[in-house]
Amino acid sequence: MRYITRRAGLFLITLWAALTVNFIIPRVMPGNEASAVLATFRGVNPSALHALEIEFGVNVHQNLIVTYFQYLANCLTGQFGLTAQRVPVLTEIISKLPWTLALVGVTTVIAFAIGTMVGVVSAWRRGGRLDGILPPLLFIVASFPVFFVGLLLLFVFAVTLNWLPLSSNYSIGAEPSLSLSFAGDVLTHALLPGFSLVVVTAGLWIYSMRNNMITTLAEDYVKMGRAKGLPSWRIMIDYAARNAILPNLTGFAMQLGYVLGGSILVEYTFSYPGLGYLFYTSTTDHDLPLMQALFLVYTLAVLICVLLADLATAGLDPRTRDA
Amino acid sequence: MAWTWRPNRSADTRSMRHLRPITVMAVAGILAAACGSATTSPSSAGSTNKGKVGGKLIIDNESGSTWTCQFNPFNPSVNITSIGFIYEPLEFINILQTNPDGTPVVTPWLATGSSWSPDFTKLTMTIASGVKWSDGTPFTANDVVYTFNALKADPALDLNALWSVDSGPLTSVTLEGTNQVVFTFNAPAQSYFYYVADQTPIIPQHIWGSLDQSKLDAEADKTPVGTGPYLMSNCSQDNIKYLRNPNYWQSKPGHPVPQIAEVDYPAFLSNTSANLYLAQGQAQWGAQYIPNIQSYYISKSSSTRHYWFPPTLNVSLFPNLDNPLLSNLAVRQAISLAINRQQVSQRGESGYEPAANQTGIVLPTYKAWYDKSIDTTAYDPAKADQILAAAGFTKGSDGIYQNGQGQPLSFTIKTISGYTDWDASLQVITQELKAVGIQVTVQDEDSDPYTNDTQNGTFQLAYGEMPVAGPGPYYELRPMLFSGSIGSTNYSRYKSSSTDALFNQYSGASPAQQLQIIQQIEGVMAQDLPVIPVVEGVDWYQYDTTSFGGWPTPANPYAQPPVWATPDNGMVLTRLYPVS
Repeated sequence: MRYITRRAGLFLITLWAALTVNFIIPRVMPGNEASAVLATFRGVNPSALHALEIEFGVNVHQNLIVTYFQYLANCLTGQFGLTAQRVPVLTEIISKLPWTLALVGVTTVIAFAIGTMVGVVSAWRRGGRLDGILPPLLFIVASFPVFFVGLLLLFVFAVTLNWLPLSSNYSIGAEPSLSLSFAGDVLTHALLPGFSLVVVTAGLWIYSMRNNMITTLAEDYVKMGRAKGLPSWRIMIDYAARNAILPNLTGFAMQLGYVLGGSILVEYTFSYPGLGYLFYTSTTDHDLPLMQALFLVYTLAVLICVLLADLATAGLDPRTRDA
Repeated sequence: MAWTWRPNRSADTRSMRHLRPITVMAVAGILAAACGSATTSPSSAGSTNKGKVGGKLIIDNESGSTWTCQFNPFNPSVNITSIGFIYEPLEFINILQTNPDGTPVVTPWLATGSSWSPDFTKLTMTIASGVKWSDGTPFTANDVVYTFNALKADPALDLNALWSVDSGPLTSVTLEGTNQVVFTFNAPAQSYFYYVADQTPIIPQHIWGSLDQSKLDAEADKTPVGTGPYLMSNCSQDNIKYLRNPNYWQSKPGHPVPQIAEVDYPAFLSNTSANLYLAQGQAQWGAQYIPNIQSYYISKSSSTRHYWFPPTLNVSLFPNLDNPLLSNLAVRQAISLAINRQQVSQRGESGYEPAANQTGIVLPTYKAWYDKSIDTTAYDPAKADQILAAAGFTKGSDGIYQNGQGQPLSFTIKTISGYTDWDASLQVITQELKAVGIQVTVQDEDSDPYTNDTQNGTFQLAYGEMPVAGPGPYYELRPMLFSGSIGSTNYSRYKSSSTDALFNQYSGASPAQQLQIIQQIEGVMAQDLPVIPVVEGVDWYQYDTTSFGGWPTPANPYAQPPVWATPDNGMVLTRLYPVS
């Protein structure tokens, strides 16, 4: 119990710190929304600057402290205001969230599952054929940046072979519906970005899982299991893997948190209209309200996932409960 | 954790951002020199193919973000999807077509005509009759008066600063009689005609008038009511579907306008996807930068696919005249002589953007204003060498010229990161300047800090262009050289009272005098080199004649052809017709 309250306390402090940083950073970025609109939409008459400054309240000088507390209150009540394009920030985020969650969430789970299984098996049969090929290969791929893998895949499958679509989340002109054909359309569009994410992340899971497994396999209780004459799959799964997976589980929970923020590059590469892409455009458009809300979403996602991971570890590993 | 993505700037960041600013232009405008004298017959719209109606036209223009489904014509981030389609201005001023005297061709739209008072301070517009808003309410001169006064009530709408500069230029907009609107200015204001007539979409008083007049800029306008040829039928993040307005006022029995039944405007997040869609033949009206356009797009159906890239603005080197070395005329002359503009055009811009000239007149678009005898443009590196030597510069051991105090001619050039064609051009320029003993280093910046730096003068050399074109060179040269624009668009920080005086006379001058004024400014450009034009920026435009005809072409440049050019897009939409 003490462990849990301590974790929860830490959660709140980190959240406050993150909110404060989130408040400061966009304010020290060069430029402002009005000049960003002028810079982005190049056809706008420069005389519009005055009009735009009024629209965005750029030169309205407010007490920074007052603004800060207003901001904190707005964050708590979920009032994020309007984006630079005059859309409620929350609407904008909610409309993009499912795409990112589905794409990156599913691929993260797949990558974790594949990585963990391959890691367990390759450590169990250390030096075997599987161990000699998959972990090194995937680890090399994992060191590529995701946009590089993405561009490579795009070049081969979308541009050269023309098998898969180049970008977006579904075909232009397709009406979103619950039909099978629309689901297929969404799936074909998610294939390349999803695959590049799996390829790039699976290697890291294999690597850490394999290492954990090898350490665990040297433990006395594994020898004990063997001495008892247990079937080897039981030793592999119940004795070794259960313990080896603990550090990875924390990593997985954190990774789930990064799902939201981590999608920027892949969504950019594939022009996939999710949160990551939204984050990219909000930064280039200097869209303060949107940027702040997105930062907040990312921070919250990571913090909550870390908290959950801590709780899960407490459940799985009795030793942590007394710590 | 080792598996977080590092959001570093990737190589492909560049390819996309190149296009964004070029394609997403929300075109607001410039000033206009038209006196409303040269009018043609009321939009001879859709005059072809026996009044046939049908077809679905798909637009292809990378927007960089998904649609917000807002249509407020005064919101610069969304109004490219409402002006021309739904909202219409009073008169159309074609920046690509000039009368013999240099004034742009003016076509009546919601106004049937206009006239200036002799001193050019009072503009009277006669409003068309028989026009209806798309909800059936009649359009009247009151809507026009209301629209302009709304810009005054909510300055955030006043994108062309009609009211806000020195409590003018506009001082009142009032109704006269039943169908005339009088615009009163505090000084001769011919150059504002373009903003008033062409760049201000008219909104319905019976809808907008009941909203909070100080917050009209925040109005989403999700179900727009306009006078235009199309109705917004359905909008999602990915696509806007427009259906033809069956009661459009320009329609006559046996002569329907517009003739295309449906227009789709998909949101393209990346240039590559937009280009692919166009190349696959799925879209017919493109406003895309396409590398290797011949093989990638045209060759796949060369009899029906065409492109036309009309130049509208110079892409120039801006020397910061506050810099002691660059304020030396000899240095600027040497830079201009050292640059082979043809070479930059070919290698940096694949020949799509033609070489510019030192008078600052974009050719052939504004050829009526150009005086060849003034033009000093030349590529002559040997002469550049001579000029620098004659001005007392000596070559250091590294081959770079330096002045008497040992300061080398070594500069940074700021440019916008992501504009890959500009980077390629600057590579050519860097080599060419190096050859005459001037060292330059290219500095890429994001567009936002770049804009701030160029406006505030925190640069040595900058590569760039003016934000918007207008009907005549005045609309580019004035923002570039007028001393009052220092801090905004006069990047070079050029100050000359005689040049300022020329600009100030322009709005009250006759067409012949205006021509003289511009040619004197050409002389300033050629002699003083406050700005060094390198190539001419163009409008990207592709069209496919398989299903639709009536496109703007070099032979019939009846409007600025890219779809983001508003309200020109309305002219195009009312002239296209189905062919099959």
